[in-house]
Amino acid sequence: MKRELERVEIPYEHGARERAWNVLQAAFADRLPVERTSRRLRPVLALAVVLAVVAAALSPPGRAVIDEIREAVGIERAQPALFSLPASGKLLVASDAGIWVVQEDGSRLLGDYREATWSPFGRFVVAARENELAALEPDGDVRWTLARRDVRSPRWAGTETDTRIAYLTTSRVHVVPGDGVGDVDAGGPAARVAAVWRPGPGFTLTYVNTGGRVSIYDVDSGIGPWTDAPGPGWSRRFRAPRKLEWSSDGKRLLLLTREALVQFGPRSSTPLSVREERLVDAAFRPRSHELAIIRTRQGVSELLVGKRVLFRGTGQFRDLAWSPDGRWLLVSWPTADQWVFVRATGGRRIRGVANVSEQFRSRSFPRVEGWCCAP
Amino acid sequence: MRAARDERAHVRGAQRGSVSDLEALFRTHWPRAYRAAYLVTHDAGASEDIAQESFLAAMRALDTFDRRRPFGPWLHRIVVNRAIDWTRVRRLRSELELSESLPSPERNETPSGDVLAALARLPPEHRAVVVMRYLLEFTPGEIAEALDLPRGTVNSRLRRGLDTLAEEL
Repeated sequence: MKRELERVEIPYEHGARERAWNVLQAAFADRLPVERTSRRLRPVLALAVVLAVVAAALSPPGRAVIDEIREAVGIERAQPALFSLPASGKLLVASDAGIWVVQEDGSRLLGDYREATWSPFGRFVVAARENELAALEPDGDVRWTLARRDVRSPRWAGTETDTRIAYLTTSRVHVVPGDGVGDVDAGGPAARVAAVWRPGPGFTLTYVNTGGRVSIYDVDSGIGPWTDAPGPGWSRRFRAPRKLEWSSDGKRLLLLTREALVQFGPRSSTPLSVREERLVDAAFRPRSHELAIIRTRQGVSELLVGKRVLFRGTGQFRDLAWSPDGRWLLVSWPTADQWVFVRATGGRRIRGVANVSEQFRSRSFPRVEGWCCAP
Repeated sequence: MRAARDERAHVRGAQRGSVSDLEALFRTHWPRAYRAAYLVTHDAGASEDIAQESFLAAMRALDTFDRRRPFGPWLHRIVVNRAIDWTRVRRLRSELELSESLPSPERNETPSGDVLAALARLPPEHRAVVVMRYLLEFTPGEIAEALDLPRGTVNSRLRRGLDTLAEEL
């Protein structure tokens, strides 16, 4: 029997193995190994660390370093909490406590989810926890749930009458209509990068596969506009992809990788531009092809729009989000435990918000999931 | 004996962050993991997902893995349980008539060959027991523990599975 079972021809074995190895290797690179120390040594090491920190802090040079860090990181006159947004709309925030909606009447915890995104008109939220996708109302009422393994990166698009949600499982892209019925496996194997909808008519989905190729196709017909390759049309390979985003007119596609920022047009898989630089984040200004980017050089982070530096600070900036009207940028600054709102048009205005982790009951720094929606 | 020693060394290396040790574990155990998933599900796309997700789950739990235990059976137990879950969900979905309107070109839905055809006549839970016993070489006691079944159920499923396969083959 064993011989018989081992002789069965298994289809696509080689391709499946190599794709799986790519996924596993990428996930392994993100994982921090736990140092195993002897139980007997742990108290000794802990005591040594405490003594070293105390000694450093009490010495004159140590005090100087600590003071310098306090002065260099963060906006001095930041608000102690986020009381209001500088532009219209509402924020979705992910913290260790779950997903929060921040709007004029305050912040509300929607539930224990790890990621979320707005529906196209901001009337609903789709949220993901490890093995569940859920559609919620902004007050937290659950409309429907879908049980799937390792659900990630939901994205919702559509019109007043017809919407679709794309999301990832470990290696597949799934699409489900907005009412939660009729979930389909729509492609893969997908890299751990959110699949995004191209703005415009129909449902054109874009995702990047585990080999680093970008694919654009219509989920209803399965046909892609990139026609210089057979089938749905693949771009060339781009290593270590991290983010995909369409401009709001659907004419530019941004692919951010570990080493480069690539822009495509909607009809060809040949890039319009490739900027070879390590960037932290990038996003199109609403109703424009202008890009905001975050970069870090020698311990200093910068927020730029085009070539103009709008804001600079010590340590790491992480996410950026445009206000729906395209006038303000929100930059998260984990090093300072602050969010910074920077005006991107007209005169320079900056508003800092401190104690962000505490406000959202989080040990890790909260993530901005989206700023919605244009009035 | 040496293989077991090598495996422990690879697990230790992977726990410390060595990609080459992780790769050694992956290359050693992927073929059986993928084969086992396919023999239970008869779906290449699903088998790829299941085997891949099982490796990811194993990798995430690596820090707490007891190195004195063999890695393979631990991984294969995850694979088979996920494959059974998948077949249950699929059965449920077909009952609800949720049609999949986008066929994936990478999927092969129709099993071919005598053994596969014979296996296809068994319920998925019975297939899983046969695959665990004869491909993955679990003992009936280990299968009972892995699938949370009474030992007698495992034995009866093995008996029925073998009888069906003998008739078909």
